[in-house]
Amino acid sequence: MASPQKTSYDFYLILFTVLVLAAISAICVYGMFYFKFAELSRMPLPVKNAYMERMNELVSPFIIALILTLAVCVPKRILPAVWLNRFSLALGLMSVLIAWRWGVVAALKIALCLTLGLQVVVLGLALAGSERLNFETKGYWLRLGSSCMHLGVVLFILDLFFYRHRGLHLVLFWVTTVSTVLGMTGCFYSSLLARRAGGLARRAKGEE
Amino acid sequence: MMPIEPDLLIFSRLGLGLKGIILTLSAGAGGLGLVNLCQRRPFALAAMRVLAWVVAGLLVAGFLLIGWLNLRIYQRLPLKVPADLLYWLNQGLAAMNAREGTGYGLPLIDPAQPPRYILPLWIENGKYYFWFMAYALMILPAISRPVSHRLRGALVALLALQNAILFLLTDPFSRPLPKFFDEIGPWFSGTLDPLGRLGQFMRLYPRMLFYYNTPYMWLHPPLLFMSYAAITVTFVASLFMLAGRGRPEVEVLGYDYAKFGYFMLTLGMLLGYPWALEAWGPNWWWDPKICSSIMMWAIYSTYLHTRLYAHRKTMWYFTSGLGIVCFAAMIFTFITSFYFPGEHTGQ
Repeated sequence: MASPQKTSYDFYLILFTVLVLAAISAICVYGMFYFKFAELSRMPLPVKNAYMERMNELVSPFIIALILTLAVCVPKRILPAVWLNRFSLALGLMSVLIAWRWGVVAALKIALCLTLGLQVVVLGLALAGSERLNFETKGYWLRLGSSCMHLGVVLFILDLFFYRHRGLHLVLFWVTTVSTVLGMTGCFYSSLLARRAGGLARRAKGEE
Repeated sequence: MMPIEPDLLIFSRLGLGLKGIILTLSAGAGGLGLVNLCQRRPFALAAMRVLAWVVAGLLVAGFLLIGWLNLRIYQRLPLKVPADLLYWLNQGLAAMNAREGTGYGLPLIDPAQPPRYILPLWIENGKYYFWFMAYALMILPAISRPVSHRLRGALVALLALQNAILFLLTDPFSRPLPKFFDEIGPWFSGTLDPLGRLGQFMRLYPRMLFYYNTPYMWLHPPLLFMSYAAITVTFVASLFMLAGRGRPEVEVLGYDYAKFGYFMLTLGMLLGYPWALEAWGPNWWWDPKICSSIMMWAIYSTYLHTRLYAHRKTMWYFTSGLGIVCFAAMIFTFITSFYFPGEHTGQ
């Protein structure tokens, strides 16, 4: 078990993520019962579409919160706390301005693209074994796995915006899936991977 | 009479024999499990472990038997289209594909290679069988770990309970695949006129391609059932965590299974996504089953996040509580298919 000693930025971000996920869960449960008792399965398509729109509206603030949390979670790997606060403030202001000028969807897309760019940088640094990354837990494979998994989450949310473009949508989806699977393998089985990698390295040295 | 009847008879006879042995041995293992759960000192742990291994092995044998029946269905029940219908049917299919223009059309029928059912092993009552077999296999490493005998006893007692539910309520051997055989019965009855036969084929063929034979059927459901089995082990470990702190090995056991379960759940859900697009188009997103699955995934993600801080007193209890909520969410998600209408239930 990891044992971070002090209450950190990560802890509060995790608590916030928990709250957002709980809210999304509650909305899902509401949607299920509404779908059943309003007998939507027997309704014509426009009524179903109206329900989908309503559910999208209900969940969107929480998806926005999740996206913004991700947009803070990702740079915290590479920025010190002071700069992270400044970054979060700038991101919030930028999102409000873009939302005001070009709409909420545009603001979210830009925040997601920014997060995606930063996550790719984090992944590159994790791949190179950089010690400058701020993680709660240590270990090369774990950091690499966590970076891949978060990249998968960012890509998945981004992919939801492109479901009308079938080709791009499916390409993004498969990249998401591969990244998530690699991420979960790295995150959950890091010690096993480290042992295997260490064994291979020792065997290669022995052969030399 | 369908050409599969003799195979069904062999299947049921062998299956019922196997069922009797599994139930008897499960009762023995479960009894030992209960004794260990209730007693302060370990009791016949080695015998309990051996019984659990044998029960798991027999469940695998039963699973192979289900696989054999499905192979016989593939070999003996092709949807052969009579020569007088073939031309009209292929004309109709070609016109339908051109009209749809989605790229997901129905292939034309080649009389030399009639369409055949490649039935997955986890449909109808087979899904319970696979789920509980996965649990039986998963607890084997857990009951060999140096954790408390009570926890090991609880895991084995639950195995016995699951097997009792499996064979008393959802027996896959006495009447296999009832819905499937009801569906295909009229086609093989030989009583339909040509027009009725055409209509029946157009009901069976899309369902064969997009439900029974789709490759996603071999990935999406089994991954989810494996995750359900792993969540059950996490649930038992979480109950023991709630009983008291200071047992890191219990927390580690629960976490190990939670990791595996989350892996299977996430991958299973992701692989359901392109299948849903293919079968239902984009208008399925807020379907009740999808809602409940997202809810379950969110709760599971929460569990894995809070678990990072389980060394803190409040977080220890919060995390173990979440492990129990994950299990409740899993049961809720599973029964959604029966109680809530939507694309997954076809209601």
